[in-house]
Amino acid sequence: MENTIYSGQLSTQGSKPDESKFVEVEYTSRGIRRDGLAGWRLMVRELVGSRRLIWLLILRDISVRYRQSIFGYGWAIIPQIATVATFAFLHASRVLPIGDTRIAYVAYALWGISVWQLFAGCLSNCTTSLVSSGSLVTRVNFPREALVIAAVGQPVFDFFIRFVPVIAVFVWYGVAPSWGVLFMPLVLLPVILLALGLGFVLSIANLIIRDVVNALGMALTIGMFLTPVLYPAPVRWPFFLINFLNPLSPLLTTSQDLIAGGYVTRPEMFVAAYIFSLAVALGGWRAFRITIPRVAPYA
Amino acid sequence: MSTDTIISVKGVSKKFCRSLKRTMLYGMRDVAGDVLGLSQHSDGLRPDEFWALDDVSFEVKRGECLGLIGPNGAGKSTLLKLLNGITLPDKGKIKVAGRIGALLELGAGFHPMLTGRENIHLNAAILGLTREEITEKFDAIVDFSGLQEFIDSPVKHYSSGMYVRLGFAIAAHANPDVFLVDEALAVGDILFQSKCYAKLREFRDRGITIIFVTHSLDLVMTHCGRAILLGKGNVIGNGTPKVVVDQYNKMITEGETKNDVPLGNRAVVVDPSSPSKDIEWNGLFNVNPNEDRYGTKKVEILEAGIFTISDLPAQILERNQEYFIKVKVRHNDQMPGPIVAYVIKDAKGTILCGTNTSYQDMDMGWMSAGDVIVVTFRQTLRLNPGEYMLCVGSAAYEEGEYVVYDRRYDYMSFRVFSDEPRAGIFDAESAIEWCRIH
Repeated sequence: MENTIYSGQLSTQGSKPDESKFVEVEYTSRGIRRDGLAGWRLMVRELVGSRRLIWLLILRDISVRYRQSIFGYGWAIIPQIATVATFAFLHASRVLPIGDTRIAYVAYALWGISVWQLFAGCLSNCTTSLVSSGSLVTRVNFPREALVIAAVGQPVFDFFIRFVPVIAVFVWYGVAPSWGVLFMPLVLLPVILLALGLGFVLSIANLIIRDVVNALGMALTIGMFLTPVLYPAPVRWPFFLINFLNPLSPLLTTSQDLIAGGYVTRPEMFVAAYIFSLAVALGGWRAFRITIPRVAPYA
Repeated sequence: MSTDTIISVKGVSKKFCRSLKRTMLYGMRDVAGDVLGLSQHSDGLRPDEFWALDDVSFEVKRGECLGLIGPNGAGKSTLLKLLNGITLPDKGKIKVAGRIGALLELGAGFHPMLTGRENIHLNAAILGLTREEITEKFDAIVDFSGLQEFIDSPVKHYSSGMYVRLGFAIAAHANPDVFLVDEALAVGDILFQSKCYAKLREFRDRGITIIFVTHSLDLVMTHCGRAILLGKGNVIGNGTPKVVVDQYNKMITEGETKNDVPLGNRAVVVDPSSPSKDIEWNGLFNVNPNEDRYGTKKVEILEAGIFTISDLPAQILERNQEYFIKVKVRHNDQMPGPIVAYVIKDAKGTILCGTNTSYQDMDMGWMSAGDVIVVTFRQTLRLNPGEYMLCVGSAAYEEGEYVVYDRRYDYMSFRVFSDEPRAGIFDAESAIEWCRIH
């Protein structure tokens, strides 16, 4: 037994030691802080090197999530339908004066909440990604951004599942989306990037101070009402200011525009939000890479 | 850095914070400073901080097997984390020329709901193996782990031993140039352990550099070509395993007695004809503050100790030398002489040897209250090198019933050393002969 294992062993590894491939690494307190462009190159190289790992982590999260559950993937949909049903009731009964929407309210709310859930899910999943990996972060050296990036996979997957009720409702209410929906992926990408960028920063903060994840839960609840998810974007002064301060608002509004009319109401806001999201994603990534060696022992 | 140096550590320091609250504060501040590019005064200590590693320098040559020893809190694990690049030093520079693999925690990152097969793929990817490498080595990993039947069950149904076996199997196939091993091997059943050590030897023979953190001085002596002794964050010794292990033993005893004079050299004025009868032994030995003591105290054990033939107190003993194990007891009542006993246990608590005055038919006559006697066991020490516990006790039969007067389990520890290797726990003093028959 012992012998067969060893012969198998040696034959597979016999050709290995190859002196030329030794890379020299240097560790000092500086890290990649002042490395500028070289730092970015290193980050890109690590990211490219870990794309398979990211993919495996995403597959793991998706396949594991509902292995021991009856409703399974239904749980991606059930809470969302419950929320929309509540607000549809409040809307219909005029308890809450919700302004008129360009498409049927239920369709509007269902779409809005799907996009919001995509953002909120990505953000909270990214934030807890490091803490929930525990000893992996403290004991193994590997590109740990993979954990944060892979945390986006699950909410994105859930988003696709939510398409089922969204399509059903659109058909039921006879909402025929315009051709503009073909551009939807381009509009949703910055939503994910914004969440990822913030998630990079918050995952680090959460390693140091565990309050972050609790505070985030609260912030997301408030944030949902500060974003035109369940009501149309306010147009009166001073309330419309919120559309300028909340980078998610123009992204969400644009996605709703694509469905309803095919024209974008405020393209300049959308472009600004797009650039902002991109900057947040890159800045968050860089901040993450600089600080991870310092905070890894906190996990 | 010369070409055959694979790791060079120069003036490396790393600080830690004792207080959790301050850790959070400093952490936030440092992280903000890092991101904003503010200058960091990382070479000073703030309140509650201490140097876990302080100005550590050494080099490791390609193909070397280095043992890293030192008491708890000496900074061994911190050093491994720095070498692995998981965290960065606050001062100094570490250079590594090669791929580092680590056995810091086996099975870190296993997902309980995934099957063994799925976990192999994921864990190997975390350790940096490409898809082709994983495919190529998958069977070897499963073979080595010996978990063929369970490879498609979720690892949450694995026993802790199986978990560790799979973890080791994956890590061992990650093809590192340097392998960091942190005592993680002291798990699993004995067969698997021996398989792990065989694998490490195979690594060593293949010229892979190994850095080995352990408390087992035996392993350092048998496996390593060089040892480094860390103490309170400093490199205290760096040289051949034998020299460094001796240094470690000396350091432990000195640290525990809080005295700078090595025990063996302590001048104890004792008349050899009246072996240590009158002096207080207290302070000659570092006794275990956490001993397990119980009994009625009718016959109280005042103290116990081990002395050389020339009556010097000793806590580091040489195998096959003769020693006096002495037990000093006071009688708190008028009574016949009690049974006085000693046993020696190993670290796991197994009793290895021992005797008492009743087994060997010692009759001590009648004692009155206040009588203090010393019972001396003259004993040739056969135990092989290692760390042991001395336990002493007094008891007697009162109306046919065995009554424990004073039992002091794990009274003090002692170490045994020897230059000659022997297998097992004791030296059976074998005589070897041979002759040619053809």
